[in-house]
This record gives sequence, structure tokens and C-alpha cells, in this order.
Amino acid sequence: MSPAAALPYNTLVVAAAVAAVGFAAGVVGCFGVLRRRALVGDAASHATLAGVVSAFLLTGRRDLPTLLAGAFVAALAGLAALVAIRRFTRTRDDAATAIVLGVSFGLGIALLSGLSARGVAGAGGLEQFLMGHTAALTSADAIALAGVSAAAVLVVWLALKEATLVAFDPAFAAACGWPVPLLDYALVALVAVMVVVGLPAAGAVLVTALVVIPPVAARQWTDRVAPMLLLAGTLGLVAALGGVAASALVPRLPTGPTIVLAAAALFAVSFFFAPERGWLARRRMLRDVARRIAAGTLTPDEDHADG
Amino acid sequence: MYFGLSKTAWGARLLSAFAAAIACSAGVAPGGDGPRVVATTTVVADLVRQVAGDRVTVDALMGPGIDPHSYKATPRDADRLARADLVVASGLHLEGKLGELLDRLGRRTRVVAVAETLPRDRLLEVAPGLYDPHVWFDARLWSGCAPAVAEAVAAADADGAETFRQRARDYAARLVALDDELRARIATIPAERRVLVTAHDAFRYFGRAYGIDVVGVQGTSTESEAGLADINRLVDLIVARKLPAVFVETSVSDRNVEALREGARARGQPVTLGGRLYSDSLGGPGSGGETLEAVLRANVEAIVSGLAGGR
Repeated sequence: MSPAAALPYNTLVVAAAVAAVGFAAGVVGCFGVLRRRALVGDAASHATLAGVVSAFLLTGRRDLPTLLAGAFVAALAGLAALVAIRRFTRTRDDAATAIVLGVSFGLGIALLSGLSARGVAGAGGLEQFLMGHTAALTSADAIALAGVSAAAVLVVWLALKEATLVAFDPAFAAACGWPVPLLDYALVALVAVMVVVGLPAAGAVLVTALVVIPPVAARQWTDRVAPMLLLAGTLGLVAALGGVAASALVPRLPTGPTIVLAAAALFAVSFFFAPERGWLARRRMLRDVARRIAAGTLTPDEDHADG
Repeated sequence: MYFGLSKTAWGARLLSAFAAAIACSAGVAPGGDGPRVVATTTVVADLVRQVAGDRVTVDALMGPGIDPHSYKATPRDADRLARADLVVASGLHLEGKLGELLDRLGRRTRVVAVAETLPRDRLLEVAPGLYDPHVWFDARLWSGCAPAVAEAVAAADADGAETFRQRARDYAARLVALDDELRARIATIPAERRVLVTAHDAFRYFGRAYGIDVVGVQGTSTESEAGLADINRLVDLIVARKLPAVFVETSVSDRNVEALREGARARGQPVTLGGRLYSDSLGGPGSGGETLEAVLRANVEAIVSGLAGGR
């Protein structure tokens, strides 16, 4: 194979699928991060394992659409449980999230162990949903994943105004007569959709990173919602392609974890170099302030106050 | 995965409890004919049955179609292990998560890891001090495990010692004859197509013994995830050697193999799915793959018909 020629077929398929998922996950994840519900996606992703195993148990099939449908039902059930716990037990958000995450993941592991202990034929490999199997995506998978991703981005685009208001000023939105809880759940459900779609790309444990890290990184660069969405999507896409490239060049480098590491690298860059919010910019600003104070009468020792 | 360790520890704790309970009631040992042997995998259980015959009851911990690399012990397993007179394992870390439990068990019950009785220089080293555990795919090498089983069973049933040794010799001879037969069958595949592409590297002893290149998408263990570079490299190989078939295994996911087929098809090399190979477990009752001998023959026939035929 000549390296200058077109990319290998499998690289193209995986890159297309993962780029779409990375972009959509970044866009959709923004509202989770802005609403301070970043971990909701984590609870949903851990719940999917039980859904994957149950779908296999009920249908005996192990094709991607069947398993992802099961994962989606489980993710929604997990989120419904989360809402119910918050509403009826007066448990705080973080504790309720932790409960749902732990219990649903435990259920998934128990079902999986039960399967392997009973020797259900063909159950081997279901645990791959824990870690993902990015490199093995086929064109049918890619089309399905890209389709759902595009739909999710479309929904966000159509509901941009409502979602923005609910994210920043729910009280005002409610005063305007909008069904705030409903919109809230819809946004969270959208995160669940992206978590499920991200499963084959990164696995249940890592997929949260795809809906959290790009939005957080994008938040460093801008204070406005639309640019943040676009940037988060782009960062997710770049991370996905970077992970695919690294995994295609280096043998024995799994694709899913590499994507997450690439996203983390982008976050690190954003954290240090973003204007205004970035570490360097703030340092420069503080030094500036200190210099001005030094020029005056006060000499407070705050040159490296922000560490 | 997360809970593997803690689960094993939990199982081991339960196991100690059970073992203590049994030690207390040792005077009223339950009846039954002959020693009870628990084997970890179906492959090992077959070996014990071949050597020990009807004089012992053999029970396999993992049923057909189960992947021993990722198997997690249940409390019931700990119970079965604790009640056994003899535990026969495959060894060389094949029983990944079960290994710790077996180590602890070894203090109370006799545990024999058959593959670890083989001479080290006949094993394939995958990393310093770490050996490929899939030795049963080399029939001649596997025949070397029979004496250790005979001696272990003899220690539990001294009256049968001579029978066991004789049966072990007979079985080893059968495996050696089978070994020649398999080599002759593989030799009928055109030399440039003697490449076995499959999901994980379980067949390296097989490849070494019978003269066929073996390439797996995943590593030796099923726990690792394949990278894109591995997939691309294999697609290149399939196209370059014009391989008409790739193979999936009974106990491993086939997603990677599907990706390979699609990649090769896109580059003008149609690849059929050459039937499921038995890898880390034998077949269930009625599958035609109940014994290792049957499984080796079935695998070789699947490989020969996949690679020798057609274009």
C-alpha cells in the first residue's frame, strides 16, 4: 500500500463515524455542562451496559442497532430514576447521580457475569461495550451513527433559543410560560442519545468524556452560546480524528481511549492558551495588575496568587 | 472488569468459609463413586475424562462457549472447587481472573495446572516469563500433559493408578497419530494461502505445529481492543495473499472479523466467513465438537475448505 494513495477503507469508515459522533457529542454536551449536569451523561452511560446485555438476552441478537436500542432504553430508564430520586427523596443532584450510576452499572455487570457463568452462546464480546470497539466499525454502523448524530445536532439547532434560556435563566423561562422541566428533560435525553451513539466509539466508561471534555474546553474560549456549541463540536471532531489518526499509525493502539486522550490534550491547550479565561492570559493580567499596584503605594504579594 | 478483582476476593472469602465448613464435617463425607475432579475449562475436562475414564466424575467449571480469559468466578464455583478432590486447570494464565482463586485453593486442595507441566522450551513466550496458554491446539504438545493428569488422579484414587497410566499412554499415542493426520490435511492448502486470519491469537501453537501462518486481530488475550493499524495491516495481508476466507471463533466476538471482510471487499478481494473455529472451549453436547480430537479435526476441515477451495 502506498502511503500517498487514498486512506485505507477501514480508516475512512471509522473516521467518518467517529467524526460525526465527536461533533454531535460536543454540541449536545454543551447544555449538560452549562446546566451543571455533566455527570448525568456518566450515569446514563453506565446504565447502558445493563441495556445492552438485556437486549441480547431478550432478542438473542447482537447486531449494533438491537444492542443500541437496548442501551437507549436503559439510559432513559436511568435518567427517569435519577429524576424520581431527586423529586421524591429530596436527595441532592450529585448523590442521586452517584446512586443511579453505581446501581445501574452494578446491574449491568451482574447480568454480564450471569451470562458468562451460564454459558449463553455468543455472549462473548458483549463486555466490549465497556471499552468500545471503534476500530471494528463497519459502514452500516457508520451510517447509523452519523444519521443519529446529525439528527441530534439538528434538534439542538432548532431548539437553540429555548435551550439557551433554560440553561441560563430557568426562572425567566418559566415566567414566560415555557415548560422548563420538560425542556430540561429533553436536553438531558439528548445527552443520553449521544452517550448511546458514542458507545461503539468509546465504550460505556469513556463515552462521558466525549460529551463533557469538548464543551468544557470550548467554554474556555468564548462566553457566547452559539460559538461555544460550534467550537465544542469542532473540538470533538478534531479529537475524534486525532485519535483515529494515532491509532491508524501506531500498531496495537486502541482507538477509543486514544480519542479520549486527544480530547484531553485539546482541553489542556484550551486551559493554558485561551484568551481571557486561559491560564497564561490570567497570569499576564494578574502580573499587569501587580505592576500597577507596585507603581502605586500598595505592595500586596499576589504576583503568583493564582498558582 | 471494574468488579473483577473485588469479586474474586469475595469469592475467595466465600470459598474459605465453605472450605472451613467442609473441614468441620469431614467425618461425614458425602457418598459417591470415585474422586470428584473439577476442571476449569471444557478442554481440560476432556483431557481428564480421556485419562481417567469412568473411575472419576469430571465437572467443567466453564461451560461450552465461554471465554476463560474474562471468566469471573461465582460463589457457586467457589463451592464446587472447595468440594472437589482434585482441581485440574489449564494454567499459564489462561484462567485470567480465576487464577487468584485457584492459587488460594492450592493451599487446601490439590490443584494441577497441566500446561505448566510441559517443558518451558516447547512453549511460546509472548513476553519475558509469560507464555501463550493455548497449548492444546498442538496435539503432540498437548499429549505431554496426559502423564501429569494420570499421576494427579492416581494420587486421589490409588487403586486405579495403573489404569490411569495406561489410558494416558493410549491417549497420548492417539494425539500423536492425530497430529500427523492434521499436518497432512493442512499441507493440501496451496502454500501462499496458508494463512489463518482470526479474531484473537489463540492459534499460534496450531500454526507452529501444522505449518500455517496465524494472524489475530486482537492480542493473545481477548481483553485488549484492536487498533485501526491492526485492522488495516490485516486487510493489506488478506488482499496481498488473496485469502478467500477469514475465520471467527466460537467464544469470541466477531465484530473485528466483520470489519476485515468489509475492508477487503472494498479493495476487490471478496472474503467468505470460513466457519466458526473452536478456540478456548469445546462444543456442547450434540455439537459434534465434544472432545478435543473432534474439535481439532473440525477446525482443520473448516480451514482447509475455506482456504483451499475456490479461486
